[in-house]
Amino acid sequence: MLDKILYNTVLSQTLSPCGKYLVAGNIYGQIAVFNLERILNPEPLSLDYNKPKHIHNIESGYQICSLTSTDAALIIGTVNEILGYDWKTVTSAKVSKPLWRIKISSETSMEQIDVNSLWLSEDEAKLYAGCGDNNIYVYNMDDGRLLSTFKGHTDFVHSVHGKNQQLISASEDGSVILWDTRTRTLQNKLTPHTNSKVNRPDIGKWVGSAALNDDWIVCGGGPRLALWHLRSLDAVTVFDIPDHGIHVSFFHDDCVFAGGAAKHLYQLCYSGDVKVELPVSATTVYSAVLRTTPNKVLAIAGSSPEIDLCTSFNYRDQILHFR
Amino acid sequence: MGKEDVSTKKRRKINTTTSSEASKQAPVDVYTRVVEFEEAEAQLRPAEKDASLFKKICQDVRYLFAEISELKAKDTDEAREKINTKRIEASLNLVALKKLNRLEKVRTRAGRDALHKEKQRVDSTHLLLQNLLYEADHLNKEVTKCLQFKSKDEEIELVPLEDFYKDAPSEISRPDLTKNDEHQLQLARLEWELRQRRELSSACHELVASKERVAAAIAAARSRLDALVPYLRDVLKSTKPLQECLALRLDDKRDEARAASLLPAPLFLLFANVSAYSDALGAETVTVGISGDEDEARRLEQLSNVDTDLVASNDSDSEQENNDDDQREKKKRHHRTAKVSKEEKAEAKKKEVLKKHPLSVQVSVKVSDGTALNLIFSNLLHLKIVVVKFTVSLPKPVVGVSAADVLNGHCILNNLYPGDSGNDSPHPATSYLLKSAGISESFDHFISELGKPYIWAQRMCGLDFMATITEDQKFAKNIQPCPSLSVSTVENFILTLRKRLKSRVELMKELQDLESGKILPAKGEVPCPVRLSGSLTQWQSIAWPEYSQSSSTAFLISEGLVNTNDMLYRAIITRQSAKLVALVALRSDYPKKAPIFSLTLHWNGTHHAGINDDIRDIERVINTDQTSEENKSLTLSAKITKLLTCLDILLETSGSSEFPPDKVMLCPVRGRNRVKPYKFLKQGTGVFVQY
Repeated sequence: MLDKILYNTVLSQTLSPCGKYLVAGNIYGQIAVFNLERILNPEPLSLDYNKPKHIHNIESGYQICSLTSTDAALIIGTVNEILGYDWKTVTSAKVSKPLWRIKISSETSMEQIDVNSLWLSEDEAKLYAGCGDNNIYVYNMDDGRLLSTFKGHTDFVHSVHGKNQQLISASEDGSVILWDTRTRTLQNKLTPHTNSKVNRPDIGKWVGSAALNDDWIVCGGGPRLALWHLRSLDAVTVFDIPDHGIHVSFFHDDCVFAGGAAKHLYQLCYSGDVKVELPVSATTVYSAVLRTTPNKVLAIAGSSPEIDLCTSFNYRDQILHFR
Repeated sequence: MGKEDVSTKKRRKINTTTSSEASKQAPVDVYTRVVEFEEAEAQLRPAEKDASLFKKICQDVRYLFAEISELKAKDTDEAREKINTKRIEASLNLVALKKLNRLEKVRTRAGRDALHKEKQRVDSTHLLLQNLLYEADHLNKEVTKCLQFKSKDEEIELVPLEDFYKDAPSEISRPDLTKNDEHQLQLARLEWELRQRRELSSACHELVASKERVAAAIAAARSRLDALVPYLRDVLKSTKPLQECLALRLDDKRDEARAASLLPAPLFLLFANVSAYSDALGAETVTVGISGDEDEARRLEQLSNVDTDLVASNDSDSEQENNDDDQREKKKRHHRTAKVSKEEKAEAKKKEVLKKHPLSVQVSVKVSDGTALNLIFSNLLHLKIVVVKFTVSLPKPVVGVSAADVLNGHCILNNLYPGDSGNDSPHPATSYLLKSAGISESFDHFISELGKPYIWAQRMCGLDFMATITEDQKFAKNIQPCPSLSVSTVENFILTLRKRLKSRVELMKELQDLESGKILPAKGEVPCPVRLSGSLTQWQSIAWPEYSQSSSTAFLISEGLVNTNDMLYRAIITRQSAKLVALVALRSDYPKKAPIFSLTLHWNGTHHAGINDDIRDIERVINTDQTSEENKSLTLSAKITKLLTCLDILLETSGSSEFPPDKVMLCPVRGRNRVKPYKFLKQGTGVFVQY
């Protein structure tokens, strides 16, 4: 039998608040901690600089579906629970008990609830979790109390993102829903697969990723990646890129970053032109994290033991090995 | 004047006496008497006195002559008278002078005689002295010669002094005498030595005699035993019918043992150990035999010692010879005949170097269904390695191409032990030996003709070249087979080979089924409860180029998980319009190592693990054991069943109307990676879940 790590798939990544560490979680319930300082300034003659500093096994053994971080803790979204780990223990050789854990109760005991997406509000007071049971749960970060539940999707939630008291979620059911975070109500609903410009029936109706900024929504999945106007909900730009499904999309610096089942990670202008094509190691990109301070880093991971690291956003600098 | 008178008177007197004496002796012989007398007188009278007398007389004569001349001048009578007297006087003086002169002459002669006599005496004394000196010199020489003389006894090794005093009886050692006298000591020691040697010599004689007696006894016994041989032969001959009756193989065993004694050391070790195993495990698992020309072997054995030396020296010569040949060839390239003979020579040399021992050992390993692998071990005499040829005997012919390949001898023995491909000589000196014999090809060139030099074969024969490398880098000529190595390897090998053979027979059956499109559940496992819609439409073996060119296998090859030694197959599974091509790599130690699948799906385009996550997920399910279910069968059939299930799931979850869902799934996709439920849970009628 082959080592399963050869078929490793990284579903999520996050960067530590200090900017020194990149954390990646895979489907085998492992998180790998990479020391970015050492990787970006490798010592001469060190051969394994692109290997993880540590690989921790999360106790439940379930896949790591999502990751995010606050100043205090690394937040891991796995199956049926959300775990908070102290950054200090994560970066040490042996990880101890989590700081806190939030159980997600399921309606039937058989069902397992994946925490597919985690999003922290700007003030880091609320944690939004898009889950496998079609719901989005909002937790108070101070005490882990469930504040509210957003119900509206009919299949599992792929991603959650928010901006200015608005929350956007993309789901397997093919819909993208805009929520008002203050009133906790459904504000607007978008169904890309009903739009003939973006529909791709051979891939499916699911929406893998959605993000918003002040004026625009970007979303894609089975349907093509498209830029929608936030208020009119019109598909303004349909991006013509050769992908077989979008799993990652976000705004950065008047650009759209998008990746998925494609050979590249794309940086696109609002007009639809491709600005940069970044070649990726993964068969399918499931996670891309970006940071500009203290230095520019873009880490791209997916269904591969390799993680691509870019410091200029224009070309692939290094390849990290999660194995 | 008065003086002169006196002297003359005297002289007269003397003269008278003399004359009177002479007159008295006259009657005898006057002259001789006078001579004698005068001689005596000359002796008696002192010579000095005569000399002064002679001077005085001479003076007197002068005076007389002077007076006479004076008187003559006067010329008187008186003077004349005086002259007469004076004349007489002068004449008397002259007589006296004469006498004196005679005396002087006698005296001179006497003196001369005396001198002569003295001289002669001195001469003889001198001669005597010389003689004595010579004699002394001679004696000195003799003395040194004596001192330098070496005696024979100095060369004799004597008993040390302490031992001599300790062992020798006191009548020989005589310590009171020898302690002080070196010479006596030496003599005593020599005597002791002589006695001892005499004793030893006599003892030696005695022993020789007894040895001869024993030899004679042995010869007598031998001749008696020789006489027994015909009787024994008769006995043996007469037991033959009985043996046949009772089905005893005593004779065969004896023949075998005799042949075994002719085997070269490595093969003998192998034979002994394998036959021991065959006795222990029974003839239905392992059999062993010897084949080849025994007479040839016997001849070879007689030559063996001389031969090995000769070969070594020949080899060293041959290199030079070859160079010469080359040069000659360059010079006269147009001489075709020379070239031909050279080729023949090289051919002969090649044959000589690659010569096998005439005897070889046949080992046959069987498994229960009758499939047997026959191995023929031969020893290369000069390269000092063991090569193996093999044949497979099957109880019934195998149907199917790929299945037959699995039971091919090469394939069975391939990588029996990790890294042992048998494609090059394990002996480091081989290439050197070949080169020195003028053979430019490397050893692997000859493998097809000679057999494969597997490392396990060397070890079974007790040869371990690794050990010799460390000791002697260049040319380990005499490698002694190590019995313990052979024992342990033979056991291990037979068990490993049987296991391999057994698994290959099973694999062969499995492949036969697969080739005919049947997928049978592995033994002891419940058949899959789910209806499988896909079918295996093709199963065939493929070559490495085809495997390596497929885009789906690049990842496995770059990771070094599949290499050219593996058995490669292509399976095609179809379900309606979907066609799944699975390239399967079986390691040579299957089923210990699971087969590795590499998938390509042809449906709505071409998909493989490099570009499609669903295919990658299926490969993960098939190739890894992430599901921690123990006792999961890793056989090919089980894997293909699993693959068929996965294909069904993938197609049915795709939402296409061509493939209506007919399996119970909790949710068709799950998670951000939209993974399909490939895992089967036995709950109720069975449910498929993701994790």
